[in-house]
Amino acid sequence: MARRLIYPLYQLGNPQLRIFRPTFSMTLVRPGKPQPQDTVQFRVSMEMTKFDVKNYLEKIYNVPVAAVRTRIQYCSNKKRNHLNQRVKRPDYKVAYVQLSQQQTFQFPDIFPEKEKQHEEGSVEAMQEKFMEDERQRQKPDPRRGGVTEWFGL
Amino acid sequence: MAACSRSPLHLFLSVQTSRVICTRNVQVKSAETSPVYPPIVPSRTAKSKSAKKRVLLEFFDRLQTVEPQERIRALTRVQRMKYVVYPQTSAIGADQWYQHFTKTAYLSGLPEKLSTAELEDTVVSELSSTVCKALLQEHWYMKKGRTFIHREQEQFAVPFLMNAVSGLVAALASKNPVFQMSSLDVSPHVNFYWINGERTIPRGHRSGRVEPKRFQIDDRPHSQIRIRHQLPEFVPLETEVAAEVPVIQLAPDVLPMFRRQYDNNISTGAKLQDPCCYGHTQFHVVPDRFRRDKLINKKLSDQIVVFLRANAIASLFAWTGAQAMYQGFWSEQDVSRPFVSQAVITDGQYFSFFCYQLNTLALSSFSVPDNPRKNLCWGTESLRLYDSVTDGDVVGWNDDTFKLLVKFLLNKP
Repeated sequence: MARRLIYPLYQLGNPQLRIFRPTFSMTLVRPGKPQPQDTVQFRVSMEMTKFDVKNYLEKIYNVPVAAVRTRIQYCSNKKRNHLNQRVKRPDYKVAYVQLSQQQTFQFPDIFPEKEKQHEEGSVEAMQEKFMEDERQRQKPDPRRGGVTEWFGL
Repeated sequence: MAACSRSPLHLFLSVQTSRVICTRNVQVKSAETSPVYPPIVPSRTAKSKSAKKRVLLEFFDRLQTVEPQERIRALTRVQRMKYVVYPQTSAIGADQWYQHFTKTAYLSGLPEKLSTAELEDTVVSELSSTVCKALLQEHWYMKKGRTFIHREQEQFAVPFLMNAVSGLVAALASKNPVFQMSSLDVSPHVNFYWINGERTIPRGHRSGRVEPKRFQIDDRPHSQIRIRHQLPEFVPLETEVAAEVPVIQLAPDVLPMFRRQYDNNISTGAKLQDPCCYGHTQFHVVPDRFRRDKLINKKLSDQIVVFLRANAIASLFAWTGAQAMYQGFWSEQDVSRPFVSQAVITDGQYFSFFCYQLNTLALSSFSVPDNPRKNLCWGTESLRLYDSVTDGDVVGWNDDTFKLLVKFLLNKP
């Protein structure tokens, strides 16, 4: 890694077999553009190289990696704060990882679709709309603040 | 009360009434007569899709009558951003993509004509001694030190193949009469430029417009043999082949492939006036990066075959396509006879053999919208020619691989 690693000092009595994990994290993201089945997209730390990404996935998660491509996404410098000063949104590095051994990955559907809407103009839709209107009608007018209709003009 | 003013059934009423608007039959079909007025064609100058299409079709009509040289110049004149297809690519799973770009169906095994050909043993033994000599020259007789990294193929495989090919062609000229009037090019430039499919421009001042996807191959084979007569077709032009062309919906950018803008070139490696205008065999050397042992070290052993296949499909499509363009065919005027070429891809030790038959150039054209034809590529897996060279002797010479190489060269019109 680009950053200098300082391992914790060995103290007598500590376990002999020590595992050092990198201080970096990789964020699995849903690809913005459709990607092939075997391609996984990550946001990684700026300092990680392609080889770091490959080693990270292979050594920690035992994921077979065929190829890694990275790019740096420039983020906008256009935002202004309340003093009208420019605020830079931080850039980030994107890694595209291609899996080997015919492995595929699909980003999980975190927000599943709601239950199916009725078709436009069908009987169920009409009925639902009717019920909605009725419910609306039963509600008292909020502008009257709970005063009954009897007192109205 | 806001809600009181609306009746719940009002919606139904309005739907009922709107239906009774117009039942009168306005457009009555008139009787068939000869056209009094000229047909209505779209404007040439308007800012519309049909105007653009008319301009394009008129341009194509003008191209139908001109010479092939003029046509190639006209078709490649306008430079735009185009996808550059590298025949020797490091992309994972490139062969499927290349099949899609070139509309090529891949068939494993060789066509019947080549696999059933017979050879005499005396001929083979003579020729194999020629090739063995070329091999020993590079690996045994010449004193070669260590090369620079990724330069080994230039030191060993390239000169070996050069000597072997020129020796074989000279020796086989008596057996195969086409070689007497053939031309052996060394590292020629083979280029092809074509259009396949459409994309919508995602951003920029032209965003939302549809433009064709342009492709360019710039190939540099190790050597190639051009002949004066066309090789015979492997299967007839309109044969139904079971193998499918893979269809990929993704943009080529995610292969990954990149777009560049430079001269659009179409060339077979010779000028158009050259009498040796048909291809016989191309020889490619696998670069060091993609050598078998390097790919195995990278744990990409399944990509060895993929690389070879992608190389064969891209190179042979470029070469046969350029030959067809030199003969006057293009996407709006599809080939009337199939164009056939062969390729041998080697890293010095392993040889793989490919045959290509170009059945169509109309990958996306106005004249043939749903083209049932597809190009065909046959290929073998890579076969070992020898095991090693020890003490001035070639160990483990594989006669079958060598026979296949000779059969390829003996293919004649």
